[in-house]
Amino acid sequence: MQRARRWQWQRIEGIQMSEFKTIGKNEQRVDIRSKVLGTAVYAADVNLPDMLHGKVVRCYEHAHARVVSLDLSAAAAVPGVVKVLGPKDVTSKAFNKSVIDLMASESTAQMLGDIEEQHIFTDHVKFYGDGIAGIIATSEEAAEQAAALVAVEYEPLPVYLTPEASAAPDAVQFTDQKPGNLAFSLPDGMFPGGQLGWGEVDQAFEGADLVIEDTFYTPKQKQCQMEPNSYVALYDDEGRLNCWMSSQMPKLVHEKLARLFEMPMSQVKVTQTVVGGGFGARLGMVMEPEVCAMALAVPGRPVKLQQPREEDWLTSPSRHPSRYWMKLGFKKDGTPAACDARSTNFKGGYYLDGSALASTTGFWLQGMYRFDTLRYKGDSYFTNQPVCGAFRGYGNPQTNFVLEQMIDRGCAELNIDPLEWRKKWHKQVGDMSWLNATPYTSCALDECLDQGAEAIGWAEKRAKYASQTGTKRRGIGVSVGNHTSGAFPMILEQTTCTVRLNEDASATVLVACSEIGQGSHTTLRQIAAETLGLPLDDVRLDAGDSDANGFDIGAHASRTLYVGGTAVMKACEDAREQLFARAAKLLQTSIDELDIDENKQIFVKDSPDRFVSAAKICRDGSFNFANPQTGELEGEPGQIQAYVSYKPDNNSPPFFSTFVEVEVDTETGEVDVLELVSSHDIGRAIHPAICEGQMEGGAQQGLGMALMEEIYFDDNGHVTNNSFTDYKMLGASDMPKMTNILVENPDPYGPFGAKSVGEAGLVTPVGATANAIFQATGIQFTQGPITPEKILQAIKEKGLSYT
Amino acid sequence: MSTRVLTDFDLVLPGSLSEALDILAQNGSAVTVVAGGTDILVAMKAGFKADMVMSLTALPDLDYLDYDASSGLRIGANASIAQVVDSADVERHYPALWQAAKIFATPQLRNTATVVGNLLRGSPAGDCCAAVAALGGSLTMASAGSTRELDIDDLWVAYGTTARADNELAVELKIPAPAAGRVSAFKRLTRVNEDLAKLNVAVSLQMDGSTCSDVRLAMGCVAPTMIRLPSAEAVLEGSELNSETLEKAAAAVQEDISPIDDQRSTAEYRRGVAGVYLKRAVEQACSIA
Repeated sequence: MQRARRWQWQRIEGIQMSEFKTIGKNEQRVDIRSKVLGTAVYAADVNLPDMLHGKVVRCYEHAHARVVSLDLSAAAAVPGVVKVLGPKDVTSKAFNKSVIDLMASESTAQMLGDIEEQHIFTDHVKFYGDGIAGIIATSEEAAEQAAALVAVEYEPLPVYLTPEASAAPDAVQFTDQKPGNLAFSLPDGMFPGGQLGWGEVDQAFEGADLVIEDTFYTPKQKQCQMEPNSYVALYDDEGRLNCWMSSQMPKLVHEKLARLFEMPMSQVKVTQTVVGGGFGARLGMVMEPEVCAMALAVPGRPVKLQQPREEDWLTSPSRHPSRYWMKLGFKKDGTPAACDARSTNFKGGYYLDGSALASTTGFWLQGMYRFDTLRYKGDSYFTNQPVCGAFRGYGNPQTNFVLEQMIDRGCAELNIDPLEWRKKWHKQVGDMSWLNATPYTSCALDECLDQGAEAIGWAEKRAKYASQTGTKRRGIGVSVGNHTSGAFPMILEQTTCTVRLNEDASATVLVACSEIGQGSHTTLRQIAAETLGLPLDDVRLDAGDSDANGFDIGAHASRTLYVGGTAVMKACEDAREQLFARAAKLLQTSIDELDIDENKQIFVKDSPDRFVSAAKICRDGSFNFANPQTGELEGEPGQIQAYVSYKPDNNSPPFFSTFVEVEVDTETGEVDVLELVSSHDIGRAIHPAICEGQMEGGAQQGLGMALMEEIYFDDNGHVTNNSFTDYKMLGASDMPKMTNILVENPDPYGPFGAKSVGEAGLVTPVGATANAIFQATGIQFTQGPITPEKILQAIKEKGLSYT
Repeated sequence: MSTRVLTDFDLVLPGSLSEALDILAQNGSAVTVVAGGTDILVAMKAGFKADMVMSLTALPDLDYLDYDASSGLRIGANASIAQVVDSADVERHYPALWQAAKIFATPQLRNTATVVGNLLRGSPAGDCCAAVAALGGSLTMASAGSTRELDIDDLWVAYGTTARADNELAVELKIPAPAAGRVSAFKRLTRVNEDLAKLNVAVSLQMDGSTCSDVRLAMGCVAPTMIRLPSAEAVLEGSELNSETLEKAAAAVQEDISPIDDQRSTAEYRRGVAGVYLKRAVEQACSIA
């Protein structure tokens, strides 16, 4: 892999780059051995004595129906069944499995119109696989056999698979809280006129030399995280509700469970096990309410709930499918005069994070280019489909697919090089960022584009492919994007961190940040070790225990390193200062004169022969601080501990670009992705290999969204490809030659200058791939994913021939 | 939907061929025969129920793959796809079969799945099925007291259904030795590399200069079973192989196929690429020769 760096020798947070001990190094991941050896304990690996097994009875007959009658008696009679649960046997409280409503302030959530309308078991089936009852048995087999014997009478309801269908005036209402099945539209109170943007858009179109418009569709894509959701819950003999789970957001789930079951948070303990991938699929609760309701029904006995992949597919959220209309106006010289857009999202059966997606889709739109005027409207309608929620990129890949294709269409009409256009018109430092509230703090997108273009040979290939013959046609495309590092101030980002120096001056860092495979515990540990001045092996992170860990909002919005990392850094700075203060006293000097070496000796910088070991200071603080005869203090008593509750001041968006080269077989419509080059302005690479891993993994999902991934439905709303046999993602051998370029341009706010890279990698491969296909075939595809079937059909319909 | 319930069944592991045939004679349709198990185990996870599963694992001497220049290729019922890939004889004399085996499923499945099992599964998408249908050959069907040779052309009778009688066991696949000038090839289209075919095609032709004869063309995923392409074969049979005849053959394929829409592709697309892929397979066969 090629990696380019742009070093900037500047002081960041008082530490000069050349002094870094671990920042920027590819340290061994903290979790790699157990994951490779298979000893890591995932939620499904949790087995407790006397454990029972839960099963949710699901409706596979209808995608929309009312339960007229439910007879659980035959199920209850199955040997091994301990309890059967209908809707009335569990809490009747409504809830919202998403946690978005907790992430913004209460007034904001109210203004957005977030609702709670889900129930543990429903009598109004809203999607294929909705849960209607529960079985608790001594084995998974018995539970499944019992579930098959539940006798249900349904009243089938019309199935709505599009916003238009569910918005019809006579349509059955999904919830009385959202009339017209309009789950969400940008509220007037927050966004005047129910829209984002600026300027007189209509007027600007009148003055434009070129106006283009089209309507796109972006598919319902599944995260396909490796580990299906699994849980164990136990309502223990002391009246405490325990839940072992793998949510990305353990602290918010903790709060939601306590609220749902009306227990003090101290009486609910949440343990986050090793998490086998997130990508948004666990951003909030998935099956936590169900398993906890089951555990409460059988006090003293643990209940495990795990579902086969096909069931997990239906019950965990996916990306929102989106219908996305866009109209752009340009001046002859390429000046982007106007952008008008509307995305209408297929919400699925329940509201969840209904307010967020239609908003962020527009945020990414307004954050990218210096349009003279811009207007965006967004809404979501309930549909009889499995729920939609967070998925890596959160609306950004959708916008990228649409906006970047439209830009290329405009450039083609105006005969402007799409790379040069982007360099000229992308937003820069000082321009308003995606929320249109805070300015961009750093931007090295030009550098990304220059390095990426050089790496893939943009200029030569773009020119070469402009005129070609033969049935196989090549094309090269570019796409740019930016994302966010946490979502402050829209979302109230916060992370608490406690650092404890042990009696040997090793450090335990307590922080609830989630390691969901993205490597955050490795990079947070690097930040802690670097800041404390301790060897990496002396630092340990302790996370995932709701008793031990303080608040952290969770792994979302690419915020863990940026917000969590700063929290860790600040707590470690405090701990280091306390340690140095004691050393300064002993060495009769000031803190500023001290440094710490690799053997944990704190020494006076100007006279290194004056030193004291950090271990001695810590040991004396616990064991050796007073004269036992006189009681006189001999050292400084007390363990060194530091605590911060940190909220960021910004969201330092990373900028990035992707170049994709494809070869399209015009006789079969097959797309061979030959090469992909992504370059990211990441501020600082704390761990370059982890950054590259994020970019490559993101590219795999981005290419998948562009080329093949989509959940299918039949006319009855039944999902027809909820398995890895029928839903395909790119495998290792399908991936193109890839080059990752890390452009390091330290951000003034991020820890050590770092910005996010978690979600970003998925975004630009989407638009770049579509644009490469556009150059290769001369056709723009508005309906994602761009499958061989669609390509061949388009070639046929347009009567094109390639010889 | 997958099931966690594995229903009760008898697992029988015959130690000899005669024992296996006796079991089949006595239990007939109640027996599900398993060689590699890569299809049956997946089916059982999806709810397929078997009363009796007869595994061939303990049967001695059925994992052979032998080639003889005069009598041809013999593949035993327990021979894996990986053995085909490893065979230089198959690579040289039966390119269609070797090419199909080479990209068959995944390495793990190639190590476990058997060639004969792939044929007996009766799927219209089987990659080895296409190759063998084009190469021609026969299966030795043994039953207690008798043995018959079943021509590959007569094997598949309906979707997932073969001409195997309930008391029969397919013990060996025979493919005749190719005459000088015989060429063959296999090609397929998939969504991703490691996948079931959305269309596969295999061709085998006797070339005399540029004239072809004894043309055998097979295509999968375009009908309820793997099929031969009689109309396209008729175009090519005895004719000079050139771009014109190839185009005609490619056009004639439309008369032979009846594809449907499914999770992997559409009928329209399959119709759109069938001729193209047939042409490419013939070109590939001739370029190797």
